[in-house]
Amino acid sequence: MDKKKIMILGGGPNRIGQGIEFDYCCVQAAFALKEDGYEVIMVNCNPETVSTDYDTSDKLYFEPLTVEDVLNIYDKEKPGGVIVQFGGQTPLNIAKDLMQEGVPIIGTSPESIDRAEDRKKFSQLIQKLNLRQPPNGTGMSFSEARRIAKKIGYPVLVRPSYVLGGRAMEIVYDESSLEQYMREAVDVSPDHPVLIDKFIEEAIEVDIDAVADGERCVIGGIMEHIEEAGVHSGDSSCSLPPYTLSREIIERLKKQTYALARELQVVGLINIQCAIKDNEIYILEVNPRASRTVPFVGKATGVPLAKIATKVMVGKKLTSLGFTREKEIKHIAVKEAVFPFVRFPGVDIILGPEMRSTGEVMGISDNFGIAFAKAQMGAGLSLPLGGNVFISVADKDKPSIIPIAKELQSLGFKIIATSGTASVLKKNGIEVKAVKKIAEGRPHVEDYIKNGEIQLILNTPIGKGPKFDEYRIRREATIRQIPIITTIPGARAAVDGIKAMKTGKLQVKPLQEYHQP
Amino acid sequence: MPKRKDIKKILIIGSGPIIISQACEFDYSGTQACKALREEGYEIVLVNSNPATIMTDPDMSDRTYIEPITPEVVELIIKKERPDALLPTLGGQTGLNIGAILAKRGVLERYGVEMIGANYKVISKSEDRKLFREAMRGIGLDVPKSGLAYSIQEARKVAREIGFPLIIRPSFTLGGTGGGVAYNIDEFEEIAARGLDSSLINEILIEESVIGWKEYELEVMRDKNDNVVIVCSIENVDPMGVHTGDSITVAPAQTLTDREYQKMRDAAIKIIREVGVETGGSNIQFAVNPEDGRMVVIEMNPRVSRSSALASKATGFPIAKIAAKLAVGYTLDEIPNDITKETPACFEPTIDYCVVKIPRFTFEKFPGTDPTLTTSMKSVGEVMAIGRTFKEALQKGLRSLEIGLDGLADPPGVSSLSSNDLIQKLIIPNAERMLYIGCALRKGMAVSKVSDLTKIDPWFIENIKEIIEIEKKIKDFTRKGVKNIPASVLREAKQCGFSDSQLARLLDTDEIFIRKMRKEKKIRPVYKLVDTCAAEFEAYTPYFYSTYEMEDEA
Repeated sequence: MDKKKIMILGGGPNRIGQGIEFDYCCVQAAFALKEDGYEVIMVNCNPETVSTDYDTSDKLYFEPLTVEDVLNIYDKEKPGGVIVQFGGQTPLNIAKDLMQEGVPIIGTSPESIDRAEDRKKFSQLIQKLNLRQPPNGTGMSFSEARRIAKKIGYPVLVRPSYVLGGRAMEIVYDESSLEQYMREAVDVSPDHPVLIDKFIEEAIEVDIDAVADGERCVIGGIMEHIEEAGVHSGDSSCSLPPYTLSREIIERLKKQTYALARELQVVGLINIQCAIKDNEIYILEVNPRASRTVPFVGKATGVPLAKIATKVMVGKKLTSLGFTREKEIKHIAVKEAVFPFVRFPGVDIILGPEMRSTGEVMGISDNFGIAFAKAQMGAGLSLPLGGNVFISVADKDKPSIIPIAKELQSLGFKIIATSGTASVLKKNGIEVKAVKKIAEGRPHVEDYIKNGEIQLILNTPIGKGPKFDEYRIRREATIRQIPIITTIPGARAAVDGIKAMKTGKLQVKPLQEYHQP
Repeated sequence: MPKRKDIKKILIIGSGPIIISQACEFDYSGTQACKALREEGYEIVLVNSNPATIMTDPDMSDRTYIEPITPEVVELIIKKERPDALLPTLGGQTGLNIGAILAKRGVLERYGVEMIGANYKVISKSEDRKLFREAMRGIGLDVPKSGLAYSIQEARKVAREIGFPLIIRPSFTLGGTGGGVAYNIDEFEEIAARGLDSSLINEILIEESVIGWKEYELEVMRDKNDNVVIVCSIENVDPMGVHTGDSITVAPAQTLTDREYQKMRDAAIKIIREVGVETGGSNIQFAVNPEDGRMVVIEMNPRVSRSSALASKATGFPIAKIAAKLAVGYTLDEIPNDITKETPACFEPTIDYCVVKIPRFTFEKFPGTDPTLTTSMKSVGEVMAIGRTFKEALQKGLRSLEIGLDGLADPPGVSSLSSNDLIQKLIIPNAERMLYIGCALRKGMAVSKVSDLTKIDPWFIENIKEIIEIEKKIKDFTRKGVKNIPASVLREAKQCGFSDSQLARLLDTDEIFIRKMRKEKKIRPVYKLVDTCAAEFEAYTPYFYSTYEMEDEA
């Protein structure tokens, strides 16, 4: 065995939920190891990537990432360590089998990863550390699932165990929807249980990326999601640093991160997702491995998190690497997701717990509004600075939309709405042009969209399931590339963005200037 | 000729967010270009809105702008940075479009920025369908018959002239929405009307259908001294009608005769010269009618593309890196090949293995959408596998996909499939078609029939049949006793790409047992080099694939 030889397992084919972010981490790992004089062996089978450039590693094996193929390479090369933390779920899926065959996995142990991913062990972990998680349970059958849901109370978030990218994950609001989900989406059995979590409504979701060396843990970045919890973290936009959280909450988030990293004996990266409601922190997920947000954190803060983590995994300490406390930044970076809806006619664009974005962009500026507006622009849906905005929101969102509509009006927008929303806005002193719903005759709202008379759409879905009218509006907007915002926090951020763009000037600045010490 | 000294600062445009049809292959090409040009001492200014890329790491260029890639924003960057040159050919269609807009609006001229790699004339000639068609006819090459229409009346007239079936493509829409194939006048009227409606300029292109023809791509590079190399030929297993990005593809081309291949090569060289790409790479697509061998030119991309990333990985020839060096004035004979160190880049790669690319789909994320594969791309990723034969590479590719396949296997739900359903699965392109082909052959359908239904060349089907035959041979030993499998049979299976778990499935045992047995029989893989030269020269960059032969090169 050669101690100075390290093998990195890549992420395999890109898919929704596991994409370029993991290639970025693998490549950074290769660069970091080369810097420290290691011989780097890369294994991957995705021809699109930088990791499969023969320049990236010392040796490249263009091979499938299966137990058999990786073991064969291991037998041939006998590296001193194998890294499975950076390639997403792909290497993790084979890590246990590799370990059983004596392959030395370095960094956080697969047992610790399992402790965080296995629901039961995870609950014990949370209890041990006196943290909170949403009430939850694991159902081996439909009747058991129903019992659990009843006990913890609707709405609940249901999903099959062990998946990346939130496949077949859904928020259900009542028993009949639960039944439908169990019937159509999952094949529940003792081998394939369903996880049921209390869904905390209108909570703020936060992502934290940190690196730990077994002794010390340092935060890489704390990201506040713009959309409320319930939208998959890969699909929501987020702000680094947080733009509404209090200092006190941030301190608590840090402490909880340190505690989790210590308990799990993390050596390398750790990602934590939590929801904040009424000043309480609920831990949703802990992933002691590279997360999708690692590259974003790297670009926003200038700290090469994956590189640092790699060096830690081969035995260096954070102190010796000079990374002992998180970097404070004065600018704001906003990440926005990009979706493939235009290619999939018949699909509703409403965001949910199932990830569907293929990519992301970042907007960076000295203030939140501009950073958000830049992110929208980068995603191909520039916020309009004037014109008509069509508003149609669910009843529960009507109070929240009033100040947003007022602000848009004062920014010079004309408000258009269908009867329900229109009457609420009118009552609150907002000038509104009422238009017909599709079922109410012509010309209706779709005609206005088609004629290019609507520049922005704010539409929160009415309850569950696609309503015909709404669906057609969303579809039409997608095809015509009209910015459409489907959440209230998203609408607020958009107003901030429009305001900032109208008062400020669009400026560009390279990362090298943002990150100047 | 040495590199240019009159330019010092170069602006590179990235491709932005990962979307279907524009994914991380452009991070690969952009990263290579940044590295190659910095190596030459140029100052690099980069713009890309995608923070997940390696190219936007602050170490990769001198000035990294993570900003929206719009003409306005790029103009602001040009104003601030005052680069000498703009390289638009590495950022996919996004990079090329922005470059063209900036040229057209006079921004480049205003700030004294020279476009390198491709100029505005080249971009227009390759992108404008009418100009491209005329250029091809001008050099004596055939293109599908076609016509433009701006109204239903005009559309009908064009349709009458060309004859059915017809492809309707609306101009200026995103994601290929609104187009389609029409086999009769009713369908035609419907699709044409929809197409006219969805085109922002109310224009549709009506084209002779080449659906079912064989599809090929050539990766070509040219320098300013007019040296041209063909880096690689790629054959699409799925015939025309399925987007290349959604097609299983093979390199090098497998079913062309030498004469046909030479004809295609000559055409490619003529095309790159005619369109006028002077310093860089292009991807040229051809279709060949299997009935009579008629060859038509489909399109040309005067830039680094998804296929060039694949061709680079398939051959070891770094197209993006060399394109970047050509753009700053080097010629192909001056650029050394990293792998051999002694041959220059004007040596065309030779490969002594077979490469298969298989797309990865995620239809399960989009319930309600039609999973038929069409001319609009739907896959979100891909895998590539290398083997000594097509069979080996195909099976390695299938197990690389991470969709629960251990090689060629039956698709889910096949037991309840009627023979009529199976035929539909063969006729209508879908993500699992390869598996359904295996299924049909297992059921005893003739190779010619399968080929007829799928329009896939019989050579590929024949190879799949050979896999099925080995499958049968292996399965026999569940009866004869697993322990009695002779080493020769096991070796043959491994050479055809069978995985241990696939063998275990066929033999009703477990993977660990097969692995032990295989090792006992001393059947282990050897590693071969991807060296661009079929082992004629020594290789210095170790880039390997496994196969089951005698000689190990690792």
